[in-house]
Amino acid sequence: MQWDLIISNALYAAIAVNAIGYTLIAVGLNVHFGYTGLLNFGQAGFAAIGAYAVAVPIARYGWSLWATIPIIFVGGLVLGLILGVPTLRLRADYLAIVTIASAEIIRLIVGSERFRWLFGGQDGLQGYTQQLQDLNPFGGRYTVWAQSFGGYDLFIIIIGWIIVVLTSLLVWSLMRSPWGRVLKSIREDEDAARSLGKNVFSYKIQSLIVGGIIGALGGTIIAVGNRAAQPGNYSTTLTFFAFTILILGGVARVKGPIIGAMIFWFTITLVDNILAEAVRTNSVPGWLPSWLEVNSANFGQVKYIIAGAALAVLVVFRPQGIFGDRREQAFDVR
Amino acid sequence: MIRRLLCAVAVAGFAVLGSAAGTASAQGDGNELVQGNVRNEQDEDGKVTRVPVPDVKLAVAVAGGAEVGSATTDAEGHYELPLPGPGDYTVKIDQSTLPEGVDLRDEAQAEVTVNIRPNERQVLNYFLGESSRQTESRLDQLPQTIANGIKFGLIIAITAIGLSLIYGTTGLSNFSHGELVTLGAVVTWWMNQSVGLHLLAAIPFGIAAGALGGYVSEAGLWRPLRRKGVSLTSMMIVSIGVGLAARYVYLYTFGGRSRAYQQYAVQEAVKIGPIDVTKRELITVAVCVIVLVAVALFLQRSRHGKAIRAVSDNPELASATGINTNRVIMMVWVAGGALAGLGGIMLGLDQQVSWNMGFTSLLLMFAAITVGGLGNPYGALVGSLVVGLAVELWTWVFPSAVELKNTGALIILILVLLVRPQGLLGRKERVG
Repeated sequence: MQWDLIISNALYAAIAVNAIGYTLIAVGLNVHFGYTGLLNFGQAGFAAIGAYAVAVPIARYGWSLWATIPIIFVGGLVLGLILGVPTLRLRADYLAIVTIASAEIIRLIVGSERFRWLFGGQDGLQGYTQQLQDLNPFGGRYTVWAQSFGGYDLFIIIIGWIIVVLTSLLVWSLMRSPWGRVLKSIREDEDAARSLGKNVFSYKIQSLIVGGIIGALGGTIIAVGNRAAQPGNYSTTLTFFAFTILILGGVARVKGPIIGAMIFWFTITLVDNILAEAVRTNSVPGWLPSWLEVNSANFGQVKYIIAGAALAVLVVFRPQGIFGDRREQAFDVR
Repeated sequence: MIRRLLCAVAVAGFAVLGSAAGTASAQGDGNELVQGNVRNEQDEDGKVTRVPVPDVKLAVAVAGGAEVGSATTDAEGHYELPLPGPGDYTVKIDQSTLPEGVDLRDEAQAEVTVNIRPNERQVLNYFLGESSRQTESRLDQLPQTIANGIKFGLIIAITAIGLSLIYGTTGLSNFSHGELVTLGAVVTWWMNQSVGLHLLAAIPFGIAAGALGGYVSEAGLWRPLRRKGVSLTSMMIVSIGVGLAARYVYLYTFGGRSRAYQQYAVQEAVKIGPIDVTKRELITVAVCVIVLVAVALFLQRSRHGKAIRAVSDNPELASATGINTNRVIMMVWVAGGALAGLGGIMLGLDQQVSWNMGFTSLLLMFAAITVGGLGNPYGALVGSLVVGLAVELWTWVFPSAVELKNTGALIILILVLLVRPQGLLGRKERVG
């Protein structure tokens, strides 16, 4: 086994484009779930909006990159309104079902043959990153330890982490503001907040929009970093991964999503790479029972199985995550 | 004199050869051609006869450019389309000139792009067959669509009743319910295709697997969590994690392909009035109706059923009157799991068995029980029929966007929540 390659690759995955995108998506979810107590299971829909808000205007209509940035914000705002207005007056599980349904609608539409002329069907859209590549000051390839990456990747990683830091600072200061305290009071006791004259519905909508826009930014980062916007990247599994990341790192903590995403991507990539290497070199360890039949066709599923099991186990045994505060977890919302 | 004549012939011959060689290397002078026959295939008692079809119009255009010629088939069904030179051409057949009631056998032939080399005479034959769609107007398709919708709605109802009862008795929105559906279908498939049992003998195993899945998840997971005092929101997220893991275990073991059962996969349709149904579909619908009536009678008449409804209404009060709530909840999980397994088997018969069939239909189930009114098993039935009809009617209203048909149900879900948030049969105070 080439351990240096496996470990450096996993370390790279912990800071690379997907980790950044998932961090932002989880930061948005943290605003929804961690601070306000909203069970949004449709965060993948916001991410898809962010991705296609950049990909469609550039790839299909030749817009300038800068002109697409407002669309990310407007898209997140509009989706937040569409989701929030019918459901936020209702019980929490209605919001969960409607948001997951809406995210599926978005994924079905962008992946459909009917709208291939606009969204590119299941193949998605490519070739919209040229303007960013022109802006990229880093040429050539770089090698750190055993991991090699291109200049464009480095560029996106740097931009991405700047955005992560800025949004995290924004969320941190928002949650210290009176506005954030109202959100937390809604999470703790909605009726109490209402009896103090706060317009709970309006605050919830605002929270949904703010978190949604941050999630959309995450989707944009994934789309420009991978140079492709594909509907498969924005399935409900993305939302569930974001929940795993959020709970792993610590709910209602600003650094929670960052640490959660790093640990998540490191672990997932490590397991994936070890299995890939074991399958490739025909050295699946003997202590694995033979009926597991690890082979080149199925080892890729193991990471999902681990992620799902981790989500279930974490919620039961350490719902506050690694850095969370047990008193500040939102699991008792109903 | 004769020598001069021979000479002239020879020169002329060379000239012809020369000109032919010239076009081959340079541009054509009109030797290129697309030709062929249009024939109607008639199937009479297994004997296929091909009848020439006259008066069909065809046109040819430079690929992506202007039309360069057209032709009409003669009495032998033959046509010739002379071309100006080699290159890429698009040949179109004018489908409005085809005789009534027949269609191209191969829909893709309506517009064919051909690459013509110098002096090539390409053959392009068309075969027609009895039309499968154009004889029916949209309105004639409506009964069939509604029948499909009812069938699909009934299957969804079978799977959704468990979800609704579990929600009613425990308050849990179980996002791993779809995996019980898949479990029933996959175990049945495995017994059927790998072990080699007849499908009818394999079905009890699938139902038992669903029931066992329900038992194990209640005894091994949900009951301990309830005892631990874990909140409902946490349990909902746990169910997401469990479902995610289970789904990929299925993908790991079953693979990504959709597979059919060994028996009853292909059946001739029978005509009942305006509707085409297969025997398989008739039996599916009959089983669904019988099971649903049995569930309703059980809930309404039997002691256990009354206990289930009592726990749904108010667990504390039910417990205070001496009902063993934990036993009732276990009963709901086992019965709900068995129903989910049965529904999965029928879904597998109707479509095919795949690793994520349960998860894809989970949203439809949630839509069904939410539209009907969360926690109300009769609401689940009504909601399922609404969802089934919405999905199928979508294909009728938007035949060009069939792949988006599940969107129809999800949009109805959102609309119902806007207008009547407690669902069609829900009670108002259930909504907070």
